[in-house]
Amino acid sequence: MQNKKIHQLLFALLLTLFLIGCGNQSATESEGNGEDGSEQQALEPVQGGTLNVAFSSDPDTIDWMSTGATATRDVGWHIFETLFALDKDYQAKPMIAEDYTVSDDQKVYTITLREGVNFHDGTTVTAEDVIASIDRWRTVSSVGTVANEYIESVKEIDERTIEITLNQVYNAFMSDLTAPKSALIIIPKEIAEEAGETPLVAEQLIGTGPYQFENWERGNEIVLTRFEDYSAREEEGWGGLTGKKVAYFDEIKFLIVKDPQVMINGLKTGIYDYAQSIPQDLYEVVESDPSIDPVTYINGYSVATPDKSEAPFDDLNVRKALNYALDKEVIAEATYGNSDFYQLDGALFDPEQTELYSDQGTDDYLAYDKEKAKELLEASDYNGEPIEIMFSNDSETYKRISQVMKQQMEEVGFTVELVPYEWATYLEKWADPANWDIVVVGWSTRFSPSELGMLIMDTQSSGWYNSERWGSLLDSWGVAESAEERQEILAEMNQTVNDELPFLKIANETKLDIKSDKIPEYDNWVGQRFWNTWKSE
Amino acid sequence: MLQYTVRRLVSIIPVMLIVSVIVFLIVHLTPGNPAYLILGEDSSPEAIEQLEAQLGLDKPMVMQFFDWIKNIFTGDLGQSIYSSEPVTQVIMERVGPTFSLMMMSMALTLLIAIPTAIFVVWRRNTVLDPLFTSASLVGASIPEFWFAMLLVLGLGVAIPIFPVAGYVPIAEGFFTWFYHLILPAFVLAAVEIGLIARMLRDGMLEAVNQDYTKTARAKGVKESIVLMKHVFSNALIPTTTVIGVTVAGLLGGTVIIETIFTIPGIGQLLIDSIHRRDYPVIQGVVLFIAAIYVVINLLVDLLYAFLDPRIRYD
Repeated sequence: MQNKKIHQLLFALLLTLFLIGCGNQSATESEGNGEDGSEQQALEPVQGGTLNVAFSSDPDTIDWMSTGATATRDVGWHIFETLFALDKDYQAKPMIAEDYTVSDDQKVYTITLREGVNFHDGTTVTAEDVIASIDRWRTVSSVGTVANEYIESVKEIDERTIEITLNQVYNAFMSDLTAPKSALIIIPKEIAEEAGETPLVAEQLIGTGPYQFENWERGNEIVLTRFEDYSAREEEGWGGLTGKKVAYFDEIKFLIVKDPQVMINGLKTGIYDYAQSIPQDLYEVVESDPSIDPVTYINGYSVATPDKSEAPFDDLNVRKALNYALDKEVIAEATYGNSDFYQLDGALFDPEQTELYSDQGTDDYLAYDKEKAKELLEASDYNGEPIEIMFSNDSETYKRISQVMKQQMEEVGFTVELVPYEWATYLEKWADPANWDIVVVGWSTRFSPSELGMLIMDTQSSGWYNSERWGSLLDSWGVAESAEERQEILAEMNQTVNDELPFLKIANETKLDIKSDKIPEYDNWVGQRFWNTWKSE
Repeated sequence: MLQYTVRRLVSIIPVMLIVSVIVFLIVHLTPGNPAYLILGEDSSPEAIEQLEAQLGLDKPMVMQFFDWIKNIFTGDLGQSIYSSEPVTQVIMERVGPTFSLMMMSMALTLLIAIPTAIFVVWRRNTVLDPLFTSASLVGASIPEFWFAMLLVLGLGVAIPIFPVAGYVPIAEGFFTWFYHLILPAFVLAAVEIGLIARMLRDGMLEAVNQDYTKTARAKGVKESIVLMKHVFSNALIPTTTVIGVTVAGLLGGTVIIETIFTIPGIGQLLIDSIHRRDYPVIQGVVLFIAAIYVVINLLVDLLYAFLDPRIRYD
């Protein structure tokens, strides 16, 4: 108990320090801008030029609707737009839509479209295009297929109005329409129908975004150019994926570069202007160079998921023993090193996601207690059978977490074996519970409880989690009416994970990108967005 | 000569067959499954099964193998699982950078190795010789990736003369093409220069005191002509073999160098395809590399026979 309090205290202290740190930073930044005349001048937007982005992974497709892959998304949202989109505070705001109303019985959504939103092919968005896009989304998107079960009909009212009728109350519907994962992108009707369930090919990449698709040389580069007839919104302060977007660059080149050292060298010598996914270990190298600015943003969290379909972790008490055995502060420090790159928080969502974050119900997140772990383990049926911790050795992060976990688990009486695999092998091995007892993996930032991959019931990704309590919470999330009600459900969701331990959260992760100091204004948010930003000189 | 050529040509067939069986087996027996990679972490078993059927991965492996072999004879290496483009097209798109790199480093190698070897033999009883021997040993033993990074840091970042990464096709200008390839080509060449120069030096030193060279000198032939005509041309025969092996070996080296300098060539394609378990592309690329290897060896053998008439009558 004593221990727990100390940890809570420490955590609170850390949080305050973190907040103070953030506050100071922004204060000095704005001061600097005010005083320094030359810097003020640098903030004057410059139109033109090519932005060279060192991009770490070659996407399978740029069709943002057909896959949830981050590489697809980060390129895709320059080309495509959705009806509604997240703003900088992760709240749904209209994008292609003008406005919407919900009927009193909460089943009929009437959505009006903005006037004169241009596609890259010269046509304008009409209700027909939106309906065809929704139809495709209902069959190809992982989010859309879920929403599909609630949709009764989608009707055109007039050229700029559609009406979606649901078969029952489903209040997560707006968040599904907004989800930036396998997103409901609006594409021309002919293309949506022609493509059907297959991912869009190069000629079909027609959206409404500020940049349009130009060329893709697989394994080498993806080129986008400015869309001159872009129909911008007017709201300047929304941020995120909506509001006013201005394309300053003539051209954006996403260059596929695998090696972070090449990225850093390339940035130093001006070959690249922005580089993605730099290992946190290189932070000092990056920070000490005046021509390179670090860019950080939230990126989900790391977890250890036990296999709940088999002994020993089918027994809740063994999972509890595991939780008591792990000193997450030590794991996080050993793994991420610099405390700027992790955050000890037990909740299902990130504190930045104000709508979704609840700090309640995470009491046992830092409940490190070796003695309790030993007691629980002794009382259980576990008899020293080897526990296999499986992870992908493509990532240094999950390798380190696994190594520290092994050590801590052995201290309380587990026998542990580490089973590293290369990513492709790892994915295949994951599907069979016989291959592993615990997987250590990271989950990217999610925007709705139904998107939490490590809690999708009865799949390998959740370690065959099966819980009536979680299922009914998801159901009640769907019909929750008010923000307060949702907060209650979120707290209860945290509590459920805390009590049932389907997975053990290690720490929130912060991702590191780097940019050239020639890009004066850049808005850190999930993933890279290159509108409203420019290159000086 | 014709009979010899035909005999060597026919012997290619079993080699390629064995290669294809081995490649197919290694690729398919390696754990990992493209369906899981395409569908990602949250995929359902049904979706996996459906995609496997769509990709033809649910058929028995023997059948998959025969389907593949059958198609190869019609010039069809299959379709990439990842991009759905024909494998031959995917390979052809990547051949340019790799061949540019190979040609350039081969040219560098020969341009440096041959004159150096001749010069060292010419000045054979001086301090130059042990110096050359150790230098070539260092050259041949330096790990390529380390040397590459060193050069990048030195000539790319600290003194920014050369670009640290990237490739420009020759169509966009000869100079930029050349400029972007110098560093990587030199790294690749470094190892081969040491190897070939030493081989040539050893061969020449052996020939330098043979009876026929002594006779030539006794006749009053100038030393430079003795060296070039009698010594060099005799030493060229074993060196040709090494050069042949080297060209093929360069293909292996490009895998590393292409990654370090982000050159979108065959080597990178192979690595990416392995990570993606893009079976048809892996098989296609390995088969392609094997074919190049075999063809180069064939050319070397024929050249050998041309350079040394005794071999033809074997």
